[in-house]
Amino acid sequence: MLNKDRVMLMTRMASYEAGEGKKHMDVVRFFKGDYIAVGIIKAIICATLSFGLILGLYIYYNFDVFMANMYDMDILAFVKDILIRYAWFTGVYVLITYIVCTIRYNISRRKLKRYFKNLKVLKRMYD
Amino acid sequence: MTQLLEIRDNIKVFFSKYDIFIIPFFKFLLALIALLMINSRLGYMQRLDNKGIVLIVSLACSFLPTGAILLFGSLFSMAHIFALSPEVALVVVVVFMLIYLLYLRFTPSESLCIVVTPMLFVLHVPYVVPVVMGLVGGPASALSVVCGVIVYFTLHVVTQNAANVSGDLSDILGQIRLIIDSLLGNKQMMVLAAAFAIVTIAVYIIRRLPIDHCWTIAMIAGAVLNLLIVLIGGLVTKAGFSFIAILLGSILAVIVGKVIEFFRFCVDYTRTERVQFEDDEYYYYVKAVPKMNIAAPDRKVKNINRSHRNHNAIRARQPEEEYEEEYEEEYYPEEDV
Repeated sequence: MLNKDRVMLMTRMASYEAGEGKKHMDVVRFFKGDYIAVGIIKAIICATLSFGLILGLYIYYNFDVFMANMYDMDILAFVKDILIRYAWFTGVYVLITYIVCTIRYNISRRKLKRYFKNLKVLKRMYD
Repeated sequence: MTQLLEIRDNIKVFFSKYDIFIIPFFKFLLALIALLMINSRLGYMQRLDNKGIVLIVSLACSFLPTGAILLFGSLFSMAHIFALSPEVALVVVVVFMLIYLLYLRFTPSESLCIVVTPMLFVLHVPYVVPVVMGLVGGPASALSVVCGVIVYFTLHVVTQNAANVSGDLSDILGQIRLIIDSLLGNKQMMVLAAAFAIVTIAVYIIRRLPIDHCWTIAMIAGAVLNLLIVLIGGLVTKAGFSFIAILLGSILAVIVGKVIEFFRFCVDYTRTERVQFEDDEYYYYVKAVPKMNIAAPDRKVKNINRSHRNHNAIRARQPEEEYEEEYEEEYYPEEDV
């Protein structure tokens, strides 16, 4: 005999498993610290690439100015200035990534908890 | 209203039944329109401006993830611009890469918004985007809308300056400067990006408020806010917006918003119930708003004759005379004849 409640619960759980449940499982299989650390490493790589692209375009844009002042400019001060900007850029991006990863992890864990609770309910229905 | 609700339910049933075909079809259609638009607006590379290639790529997009439309759209745009001027293509590549590295890698599902926003700009109805994204998306959708605006204006700036950048090969730096200056100094882009971001967030916040008719209030407030920000921004920066276009676009945004509301948030505020109860730890003040639904008509199909297959099966099983007898009984009962 079909149990309507059980079928509904199983359908809902199967839908979750096939949809966003997959993403949540991928997130929660890490410890929170590890997940955030991986996110931050990726963020540093992306921020470095992005900063490099912007810097490259900036130098290309001002190429003739750089060539004209090549021997007069204070290279050390220029590099220092770029490094400070890079640190700010990367720092802000890493902070945003940290917040996003933390929120994502918390949401995933909360939803997976609900899923496992439903699993227990389902098991009880069979017992 | 009942008829409309019935139609809505039928559409929902139809979509859920045939989604395996409908979703790829819509992906195909979106990719086809997007690539045709790119070819018609840019179209500098003759080899790519070919309907056969567009059809093949669109077909590929129909079974690939949604992000593939954005990927192929970007590749087509970059190839066309590369044919125009490799230096300008470099600037466009940097813009696209920055969007991907800094934003899109977080939310690949938002790529659809970045594809659709430039398309709506081309169709002169971009004001629909922030209202719709505020209704169906989250606060992060504001960034997607801004990225869409940037993508459109990047390509727009290239097409506007195509004559200046294609001819003179001796002044490469001049070409790059022209494109970057036109992009960063584009006041229309700045005003629209700011307006769309604010409107998306405002619509999202209002539609989540626990007030009656929150979706309708959100879309009207969004449309009015859009109108005001763009007009004031246009006056301050002297960007030159058409009042009629903004007004019509805002009205269209509300109409589209109402259609989305009908499908996603159709509730009956006249039957709102407010209940109050408590447990050991909390008092609960609950407001329950019933959804507007119609009971599915209970259709009973009564077979008054046998199906052709059963008919043949019986015919195969039984001798000819018996079959004839039964046939007579079944099909021409005495009371009916």
